Amino acid sequence: MIEGARWKKWVWFYLPLGSFIVALLFPFYWMVVTTVRPDGELYRPWNHPLYSPFWTSHPTLDHVRNLLTETLFSTWMWNTMLIAFVATLISLFCGVIAGYALARLTFRWAGILGTAIFVTYLVPQTLLFIPLAEIIRDYHIGDTPWALILTYPTFLIPFCTWLMMGYFKAIPKELEECARIDGAARWQAMVYIILPIAVPGILSAGIFAFTLSWNEFIYALVFLSSPEQKTVPVGVTSELIRGDVFFWGALMAGALIGSIPVAIVYSFFVEHYVAGMTGSVKG
Amino acid sequence: MSRFTRRKFLQASGAGLAGILATHQAPSFAQQSTVHWIKWNDFVPASDELLRKQMLPEAMKAIGAKITLETVNGNDLQPRVTSAIQSGSGPDVFMLFNNHPHIYGASAVDVSDVAEAIGKAQGGYYNVAKANTQDGKKTLSVPWAVIGAMTSYRKSWFEEVGYNEFPKTWQEYHDAGKKLKAKGRPLGQTLGHTFGDAPTFSYPYLWSWGGKEVDEKGKVVLDSKETLESVKFMQAFWKDSFDEGGLAWDDTNNNRAFLSGTISATLNGASIYIETLRKPDQYKTEKDRPMKEDIRHSPLPRGPKGQFGFHLFQSHMVMQYSKNQKAAKEFLKWIHTPANYEKWFVSQKGYSTPPAAMWEKHKMWDEDPVMAPFKIAGKLGLSPGYAGPPNRKSAEVLTKYIVTDMYAKAVQGMSPQEAVKWAAGEVQKIYSGA
Amino acid sequence: MQRGPISRALEREDTLAFWLLAPTLVILTLFIAYPFARGVWLALSNATVGEPGHYIGLANFEKIFADSIFRTAAWNTIVYTAVTTVFKLALGLWLALLLNRHFRGKSWVRAFILLPFIIPTVLSTLAWKWMFDPTFSVFNWLFWKLHIIDSRINWLGDPDLAMASIMAVNVWRGVPFYAISLLAGLQTINPDLHEAAAIDGANRWNRFWHVTWPLLLPVTMVVVLFSVIQTFADFQLVYVLTGGGPANATHLFATYAYQIGIGTGLLSEGAAISLAMFPALLLVVVFQLWYIRKVENR
Repeated sequence: MIEGARWKKWVWFYLPLGSFIVALLFPFYWMVVTTVRPDGELYRPWNHPLYSPFWTSHPTLDHVRNLLTETLFSTWMWNTMLIAFVATLISLFCGVIAGYALARLTFRWAGILGTAIFVTYLVPQTLLFIPLAEIIRDYHIGDTPWALILTYPTFLIPFCTWLMMGYFKAIPKELEECARIDGAARWQAMVYIILPIAVPGILSAGIFAFTLSWNEFIYALVFLSSPEQKTVPVGVTSELIRGDVFFWGALMAGALIGSIPVAIVYSFFVEHYVAGMTGSVKG
Repeated sequence: MSRFTRRKFLQASGAGLAGILATHQAPSFAQQSTVHWIKWNDFVPASDELLRKQMLPEAMKAIGAKITLETVNGNDLQPRVTSAIQSGSGPDVFMLFNNHPHIYGASAVDVSDVAEAIGKAQGGYYNVAKANTQDGKKTLSVPWAVIGAMTSYRKSWFEEVGYNEFPKTWQEYHDAGKKLKAKGRPLGQTLGHTFGDAPTFSYPYLWSWGGKEVDEKGKVVLDSKETLESVKFMQAFWKDSFDEGGLAWDDTNNNRAFLSGTISATLNGASIYIETLRKPDQYKTEKDRPMKEDIRHSPLPRGPKGQFGFHLFQSHMVMQYSKNQKAAKEFLKWIHTPANYEKWFVSQKGYSTPPAAMWEKHKMWDEDPVMAPFKIAGKLGLSPGYAGPPNRKSAEVLTKYIVTDMYAKAVQGMSPQEAVKWAAGEVQKIYSGA
Repeated sequence: MQRGPISRALEREDTLAFWLLAPTLVILTLFIAYPFARGVWLALSNATVGEPGHYIGLANFEKIFADSIFRTAAWNTIVYTAVTTVFKLALGLWLALLLNRHFRGKSWVRAFILLPFIIPTVLSTLAWKWMFDPTFSVFNWLFWKLHIIDSRINWLGDPDLAMASIMAVNVWRGVPFYAISLLAGLQTINPDLHEAAAIDGANRWNRFWHVTWPLLLPVTMVVVLFSVIQTFADFQLVYVLTGGGPANATHLFATYAYQIGIGTGLLSEGAAISLAMFPALLLVVVFQLWYIRKVENR
């Protein structure tokens, strides 16, 4: 609680907090307004006498309708969801067990492997995408979702591993020992005792992975070409800018709707998200 | 977040999402072969619509293969070609600009059979078409069209500052622009990295002063007195007459600026005028007349060494990785038959000029006098790499925007000498490389 | 208790570890280690699109180090990363301190505040691009109405302003991540420590500097590390906002590598540019890891 006069509370707390909220959320408000603003109003220059940026008197759903019927937007949504979902599953599976191994098992190569996995996170995507394109060409998965489902784990796994390592380290070692004493096999101790406790961490790693997949751009840009195969970020930027016209109405509609799945996933797990951070950064 | 409100939020967005996903159509599995054609987003949207709604379904019946058309931003064509070639899969027919076929020549299917037949039947290809699509060993691509670049300008505004005819020299243009800018109506030009409006200005501007990248023997001669003169002039010219935001513009910004009345003249294809024809009620002048009545076109002004133009050239390449090469060639043959091509050409309303001489006599050119300057765009016009032949090296100089950057750097404050030296150095590196 | 042969084999920690790590190692070797090696080879060759080329040693690196645009991109990346990190940390910390208090709607605010970070970068950056558009910018309108300016501000067209604009968008995107992570860290600090310090007479600033900050340091370092890695390799933001312009003023390593490699088809030069990024990043990361270790062992 802040002690002191009322005005102090305003200056030191409400004003800064309010400013932050406005600054962080204004672009989303802008997206919403642009989405429902008719074209005639949309293209007024900023020093036009009738420029009214913050609201519109003739809201229209034309842009949204255009987006859904005239473009392949819904296909892109399916594609992106499918790719994000499967890539997240793969990465979670690998990341959880790898994180467990590195955090709770002792073996000779633990340190080196941990560092190696971390270092792969540093390799820039712009270096990898040409060689990866060759691999994709040789396996004939170019222009299919598999090109992304198999390459996204390259940056999701190191991240999930790292997150889970931190989480696992925070769980007391005694738990496994108790289980062992009770007669459980090593792997059973892992699966039946430790993993359930780590579920919040796994969930937050999953959300992060899903968000990062949804957000990925470079690989999707380079490995996909048919309009039907594209993901939302690539589709929106490449197909909604036609010739002379940036279809700002449809672009913002696409940006808004394209953000919904991630927002939903996130809303489910926002507490775990924060808890996951706490767990992992302690490690 | 309280359970109650979250549930409501989820219900609403979940239902909405389900609705959105429900509009998705199940993919169809075609049994016949498909030709995937990729071209730029046409600045005349009516033509792309014509293709999609009418012509391509007709093509399908005629050839027996499904034609899918993909349109992308012009600046994205090059990255798409590279990714497609590297990952071994992608569109079968690729539209390419200017001398780019020379860059991707190794991955091109020889289309001499298709191209020669068309050229012969249609009065012969213009030189610029031949130079950009043939490398001496094979025909890299089939010429498609030339997009004439002219200066679109507001007739009444120029008259107000004393120019009843469009300025004939750079000095006159500078003077007119200065007066116009003082009235809040500057000239507009992009010096950014965009495929159309930037090079089609910077190259002819350079040539009109007598500067060039290489001479006939292939020696790099960019670092010259003439080039220096052109850069010096441009520095003052830019500040006095142009909308200085042009440094960040791509090919669409000048269209929007002109249509919203913030600039008085800009080098462009005919798309500005055509857009005002399309929506006469939306684009009005400050006197509330339709803007289309106030637009005229003119070639670029003359420099000390003459008047030049560089017009965007388009051609189609059939890719070696394509599994539908035969169908692709059949498609190109089909679309270039005069009856079919004519439909597309007419829908362009003069925005594009066909690459062969026969079309100069077409009656469409007589319909709208405002469009008359565009008729011979294909005949005039030089290619980057002048005075040498168009080849891979000139294509590299073009894609690296070296000439455009020379001017961009100068107007941002670099001394003319440094800018010219830099550009000449870069060009030299390219021409002396393997 | 009876155990099958597999269970018994998995009793040994190193066997179990091997099998647990196997899927990860397979994927990372196939899709990172091998392509990385190929990428290095590519950087040492003169391959272009469609033509495999041959080995030419370090010629590409000589070429790019002499390229003024490369040097600009390198410098830009360093400035971009350094400046945005400082701002993100400062603003994120401030926001975290604000959010650490109790107020009505606290959970709502904490949830919504992460939106800039959650939303796909490309999509939110498009919204910013529209807000910066020279002809239609809402910021221009605002400043004009407030009589701060009387002619247009060219957010993305002026080279210096463009850099400032992309940094602003990056900070906008990153502050929530910093804020929430630091908030998580703040919440693990025992409030008794603050009470004790207050009783000892420490004022607000001292309490922060001597109690909060040291305890927050481990979290901070981890967040900064992650953020620096991402920011250094940033691509999408610049690609959407400026494409590297105006006149190459806002190019970063990643966008320039893309333009040269994929845009112009000079694959080997593009690979060289990307590879040049790697040692710089490695250095920064090694330094940070060392610093973290030092802080942890204090």
